[in-house]
Amino acid sequence: MSQQDIIAAIVKEVLAELNGGNGSAAPAASNGRSLNYKTDYPLAQKRRELVKTATGKTLDDITLDAIMSGAVKAEEIRITPQTLEYQAQIAESISRPQLARNMRRAGELTNVPDERVLGMYNALRPNRSSKAELLAIADELESQYGAKVCANFVREAAGVYEARDVLKKD
Amino acid sequence: MAKRQKRFEVLDAREVNKDGFVTEWPEVGLIAMGSPNDPQPSVKVANGMIVEMDGKKREQFDFNELFIANYAINTAVAEQMMAIPCVEIARKIVDINVPRAEVAKVFSGLTPAKIAAVMDELNVVEMMMGLQKMRARRTPGNQAHVTNMQDNPVLMAADAAEATYYGFDEIETTVAVFNYGPMNALALLVGGQVGRPGALSQDALEESIELQLGLRGLTAYAETVSVYGTEKVFIDGDDTPWSKGFLASAYASRGLKMRFTSGTGSEVQMAYAEGKSMLYLEIKCVMITKGAGVQGLQNGSISCIGVPGGVPGGIRAVLAENLVTTCLDLEVASGNDQTFSHSPFRRTARLMGQFLPGTDFIFSGYSAVPNYDNVFAGSNFDSDDYDDFLILQRDLKVDGGLRPVREAEIIELRHKAAKAIQAVFAELGLPAITDEEVEAATYAHGSNDMPARDKVQDTKAAQEILKRGITGVDVVKALAKRGFPEVADAVLNIQKQRVSGDYLHTSAILDKDFNVVAAVNDLNDYQGPGTGYRLQGERWEQLANIRHAMSPEDI
Repeated sequence: MSQQDIIAAIVKEVLAELNGGNGSAAPAASNGRSLNYKTDYPLAQKRRELVKTATGKTLDDITLDAIMSGAVKAEEIRITPQTLEYQAQIAESISRPQLARNMRRAGELTNVPDERVLGMYNALRPNRSSKAELLAIADELESQYGAKVCANFVREAAGVYEARDVLKKD
Repeated sequence: MAKRQKRFEVLDAREVNKDGFVTEWPEVGLIAMGSPNDPQPSVKVANGMIVEMDGKKREQFDFNELFIANYAINTAVAEQMMAIPCVEIARKIVDINVPRAEVAKVFSGLTPAKIAAVMDELNVVEMMMGLQKMRARRTPGNQAHVTNMQDNPVLMAADAAEATYYGFDEIETTVAVFNYGPMNALALLVGGQVGRPGALSQDALEESIELQLGLRGLTAYAETVSVYGTEKVFIDGDDTPWSKGFLASAYASRGLKMRFTSGTGSEVQMAYAEGKSMLYLEIKCVMITKGAGVQGLQNGSISCIGVPGGVPGGIRAVLAENLVTTCLDLEVASGNDQTFSHSPFRRTARLMGQFLPGTDFIFSGYSAVPNYDNVFAGSNFDSDDYDDFLILQRDLKVDGGLRPVREAEIIELRHKAAKAIQAVFAELGLPAITDEEVEAATYAHGSNDMPARDKVQDTKAAQEILKRGITGVDVVKALAKRGFPEVADAVLNIQKQRVSGDYLHTSAILDKDFNVVAAVNDLNDYQGPGTGYRLQGERWEQLANIRHAMSPEDI
C-alpha cells in the first residue's frame, strides 16, 4: 500500500468508529437516556447525585472539615470516566461533537498515570518516535487501559507522521 | 536632507510614527487577508471522507489539512454549505434574523479558504455585529495578566487580589525567571481567591510543567498550548495537531479547563508562511482547535500583533480571526494583550473591535500591573489605564468586565492577600514573608516599591513545591490552619471543579458562588435590540459610579 492508502485506511477506520460507535461510550444516566444541556447542566446543580469522585464520594462530602480531618485526600479530588461521559453527552446535545469526542478520549485517559500520559504526549511530538514506537503506544492504550478511541488516534498519527516524514530519523 | 516642512517635522515626532509599518509582500506572507496565493475554496466528499479541499487532493494534504479534513468539518453538510455564496454567508452573520446556531451550522461545513473568503466580505462594523451575535457566552468577560519583574510572591498575591476584585474572570501569570513557576502559581491562586472567589488562575509555562501544576491543583486552567497554521511552523514549535490533541485530552482527563493559543502573524514571524495570508493560516489554527475538541482559543494575533499591525487592513484581520473563532462555536479570549503601538489612539481603536461587541474575554489579558512589571512584553492596556477603561465603559454604556473600585477597599484587600500568602508560606515552610513586605505590597505601585527578597532561597523553594508534591489541598489546609477559613474554602471550591467537569464546557467561568456560567446555561441568544446581554439595572449603576464623578450635592 502507498502511504496515502495507509492514511486513507486508518481514517476510514476512525470515521467508522466515530459514526458507528464502538461501545466504549455506553449511555449511563440513571434512567437510560442521554443527558441534555437544557435539563441536566450544570451537573453540580441539576444532577448532583450523578457526580462522584474516583473513590465514590459526592461533591457534598468534599468539605473543609473533611479535608482537615483527612477524610478526603487530594488524590481523590478527580474526575471519573463516568462523569466525562455525562459531560460528553451534554456536549453532543448542544451540537458540539468534537468537544464530546475529546471528553471521551479524556475519559479513557483517566486511568493512565500522570507520568505515562506526559510520556505519551512527548512521544507524539514530531521526530520523536518511530512508527513501531507509536503503534506500541496505541497497543498499550488499548490493551492496558481499554483506551480504544485514543489508541486509534495514535495509530492515525503514526500513519500521518510516516506520510509527512515526521517520524524519528535513525 | 532638503529643507523640512515644519508640520511634517512635528508629525514625524509623533508617537504613531515610532510604530513599524510595511507595505504588503504576499510572497512571504506579509499580507493580512486575501493573498493571491490563498487557495480557491472547494470541497469534495466521498464515502463520508473529504477527498479534496481548497483545490488540493487528499494525497497532497499536509498534516494540518489532514487533521482539519478528518476532524473539523462536518462532511454530512460540507458540500451543501460550501455551495452557499460567500456574500450570503457573510450576510447571515450580520442579519439579526438569522440565529447564532444557524450560522454555526453553516460554518461547521466550510473549508479554511471559504471561511477566509467570507470574512473578506465584511467591514469592521459588520464584524463587530457578528461578534456580538456569535460570541458563545451571553455575558461578556475579561482576563488579566498578573506578573512582576522580581517574581515577588507577596506583590503577586496582592496584585491578583486587586485584579479579581476589579472583575477579571481569569488571571494569568508567567515567570520573569524560569524556575519560579510553581511559586507564582501558588501566589496567584491564593491572591485571586482573596479578591473574588471563583476567579480562575493559570501559569503560562512550558507545556509539561504547566500540565503538572494543573494536576496538583495549583492552577485552575491552561491556555498556553500553541497551534500553528503551517506544517513547518508547527514542527518548529515542536508539536503536531495530534500531539496537541492528545494533550487536550490529557487536561480534560484530569478535569482541567484549557484552551489553545494561536494568532495571525506567527507563521510570518517564524518565516514559513508559504506566501499565504495571515488570516487564511489563522483560520487553519481555529479549525485545528475545533477538530481537537478543545472548547476555546486565545487568538487576536497575541504576541505577534506587530506583524498584522504593520500591514494594511491588519487590525481588521485580527478582528476577523476572533469572529471566525466564534462562528466555529468556540470560546474566544480575544487578544489585546501586547503593547502593539506607541500611539494611545491606535491602542484604543484596536481595542474597540472586541470591547464594543463584547467577547468571552475581551483581553487575554489586560495588564493588571504597571507596564514595566508585565513579563508578557506589556499589554494593550495596563493598571495605569484602569480609570480610562472604566470611563470608556461608562461613556459608551458597555460592559468590559471591570467595575469601579475605591482606594480604601483596595488597600484592605491587598493587605489581606499579602497576609494570606504570608500565612501559607509560613505553614508550608517556604521562605518567610516579613510584615515589612506585607506593608510594601499593600501600598505598592509595582515591584520597584518592594524590598528585595533572597532569590536563591525563593527559586529553591519554588522547586521544592514541585518536589514535595504540594497540592491545592495543602494550600487549603494551610489557609484554614492560619485563620483564613473563607479563602481556604474558595481554594477548595476551585479544586472541586475538577470533579464535576462542568467548567470543561465552552466559555465556562465561575461566579463568586462557584456556579458555572458557560455557553451552555448562558448561551448567547442575541438577535437584535431587546435580546442578548444588556447592560442595565444594578450592573449599569455599578459601572456608572466611577470615583471622580461629582453629584449635585457636591456642587
